Amino acid sequence: MKSVKIYSDGRVILDGRENVFEEKGLSLLEHLYRKEVGDYPKFFKMDVLCKLGFIASELLLKGESDRFTPREDRAVLLFGTCGPLCNDRNYQATVRDYPSPSLFVYTLANIVTGEIAIRNKYKGESSFFILDAKDEDIIKNTIEEAFQDPVTQEAVTGWIDCRSEDDFEAEIELMVK
Amino acid sequence: MDLIETLKTQIIEALNLDGMTPGDIDETQPLFGDEGLGLDSIDALELILLMEKNYGIKLKNPAEGKEIFKSVNTMADYIAKNRTK
Amino acid sequence: MTKVYKIADHAVTPLASGSKENFNAVLEGKSNLKLHEGTFGVKEPFFASLFDREEVLRNAENEGIRGYSFFETILILACKGAIEKSGIDASSSDTVFVISTIKGNVEALGEGSKDVLPATSARRVAEFFHNPNSPVTVSNACISGLAALIQGQRILRRGGARNVVVAGAEVQSAFIVTGFQSLKALSPTQCMPFDASREGLNLGEAAAAMVLGTSETDWELVSGAIRNDANHISGPSRVGEGSYNCLRAVVQDKDELAFISVHGTSTAYNDEMESIAIERAGLLDIPAGALKGYYGHTMGAAGILETIVSMKAVENGVVIGTRAFSGNLGVSRPVKIDRENRKTTKQAFVKLLSGFGGVNAALLCRRKTGGEK
Repeated sequence: MKSVKIYSDGRVILDGRENVFEEKGLSLLEHLYRKEVGDYPKFFKMDVLCKLGFIASELLLKGESDRFTPREDRAVLLFGTCGPLCNDRNYQATVRDYPSPSLFVYTLANIVTGEIAIRNKYKGESSFFILDAKDEDIIKNTIEEAFQDPVTQEAVTGWIDCRSEDDFEAEIELMVK
Repeated sequence: MDLIETLKTQIIEALNLDGMTPGDIDETQPLFGDEGLGLDSIDALELILLMEKNYGIKLKNPAEGKEIFKSVNTMADYIAKNRTK
Repeated sequence: MTKVYKIADHAVTPLASGSKENFNAVLEGKSNLKLHEGTFGVKEPFFASLFDREEVLRNAENEGIRGYSFFETILILACKGAIEKSGIDASSSDTVFVISTIKGNVEALGEGSKDVLPATSARRVAEFFHNPNSPVTVSNACISGLAALIQGQRILRRGGARNVVVAGAEVQSAFIVTGFQSLKALSPTQCMPFDASREGLNLGEAAAAMVLGTSETDWELVSGAIRNDANHISGPSRVGEGSYNCLRAVVQDKDELAFISVHGTSTAYNDEMESIAIERAGLLDIPAGALKGYYGHTMGAAGILETIVSMKAVENGVVIGTRAFSGNLGVSRPVKIDRENRKTTKQAFVKLLSGFGGVNAALLCRRKTGGEK
C-alpha cells in the first residue's frame, strides 16, 4: 500500500480506491480495528488521534514483509492543526477531582507518532508538526528537510487531524527518499 | 455482587480492556508482566486511582502497588482491609 | 552541506531576563524553584519555578506587547530579545519562525475559541513581527526545543530561508501540574538530577529564542538527530536505545567535547536511562551536567534554554555544576556529574533530551576556536 485516507464520514481510500462504511467517527475506527487488526488491545487505551493514526498506519503497512523487524531508517512524520485537542478536553474534565494518568499521557501531540513507532519497531525519527492550516508546501518541504538525516531513507508521513471524535481525517503515505 | 466481581468490572472499565468480561479474568492470575493481563506502569497508576476513587484508599508510595496489584485476589484483600468507603 | 550558525539568542526565565543574565544567575547557583501551595487551584502543593506574571506583563507592556496570552507574551519577549540582538529583518519573507511548545496555551481550553491551539499562538507571534510566512510548531514532548533547533537547521540547509527564528516556551497550569502529579512524577522537594535520593522532577516556566543563519559566527549548530526508542509511550527504554542512537549520530570527535548537557529530569528511570546511553556511546569520561536543578523542567523551552546556557558556559570555560546533586550518584553507570562548577578549555558540547512518546534528541554545537569571549 502506498497511501491511505480515512475520513470520519465513513470513507476509506486505499491507493485511490474508495470504500464507504456505514460506521462513522470513532465507531469507524473501532470497526476497522476489529476487521483489519484485532490483536493489539492497546488500541483501546488510545485517544482518538492515536486510534486514527494507528489504524491508518496499519492499513498502510499491513501487507509488508519483515514488517516488525526493528529498523532505524524509517521515520514517522505527521502534521495537523488540532493535535491532541479532543483528548485535552477529556483530560481537563478529570483535573478537578481525579486527574487521570492514562488520559494525561495522550495530551501530547507526538504520542501518535510514538504509537506507530512502537507498534512497528521503528527506531528512527518521529516528529509531530502543528500547522495553522493544511499547507501542502510546508508539509512537502518539511518532509524533504527530514530526509537530510542520512539515516532516514523512508517515512510514514502525512496529515492527521481530529476536531472531535466525529470529525476527523487522516491522509498518510509511505515515502521513499 | 461480591468485591472480587465488582473489582473485575471496575478494572475492565478503568483500563479499557475492551471485549473482556469479568469471567475472562482469573483472580489468581498476575496482573502485570508478560503473562496474565500484561498491564504496564500507566495501568498501575490507574489502579491506584481506582482504589482512591471507589474505596477511599490513598497510596502514599506508588511502590507499595507492586505487592497489592499482584492479582485481583491480593488487590481485593488489600481493599477489604483498608477501605474507607 | 551548508553550515548553520547561531546569530543571537535570548532567554526569559523566572531567574533572569537575557542570556548572559541567565548564565550568571546559574553560575552563582541561583534558582527560583520553590514550594507552591494553592497555585493554579491545584490541591496538592508542588515544587516549581514559576514567573511573577504581573511583573512579566508589566515589562511586556513597556515593550509594546499587549493583548496576548501569557504564553504568547513570553514567546514574543524571547523572540524580540534575540531578533534585536541579531540585527535581522524579522518582517522579511526570507525569515521563518519555528515554534516549540508542548501544551502552549492550554490554559485557554474550554473557552471555546481557537486560542488554545499552538498554531494560533505561533501565527500571532509571527504577526507581531510582521512576518509574512506561516510558522511551523514542533510539538515533540520534552525534546520539542531541540527538535525545533534541528528543524531550523534543516530549513536553512534546504535554502528555505535566510534566517530562522527558533523560539520555545512553556507556561505551567493546573492541566500540566495535575497531569504530572497523576503520573507520580513530581518531586515533593527540590529535584536532584542523577542523585541517589532523587524523587522526581520539578516543573518550570521559561521562554527562549535563537536566531539562526548561514553567515559564519562563533557558534555552529553542527549536527542533530531525533530517534525513537520504539519501546513505550511514557517509559524510557531501559537500554537507553534512542538516546544512544542520537549520541552515536551526532558526536564526531568526543575529545572536542567540554561536556554533555544531559536531560537529567531527576526521575528514577530517565536519569538511569541516560547513564546507560552515555556508557553505550563510549562517553563516560566526558563531564556531564543537568540544568533542571536551576530551572526545573521547562518542557517546550528546555532544549533552547539549555542550549543557550551551555553555549555561555563554553564561552566562559565552565562546566556548570549540577545544582542539588549531593555527590551521591544514583545511577548504575559512573557518569561524570559534579555539583561544583568545573573548568574546561574545550569548545564543543552535546545537548541531550528525551521524552514521552519514546522520543530522544541530541544536538552537537561547536564554537569557533579562537573566538572572542
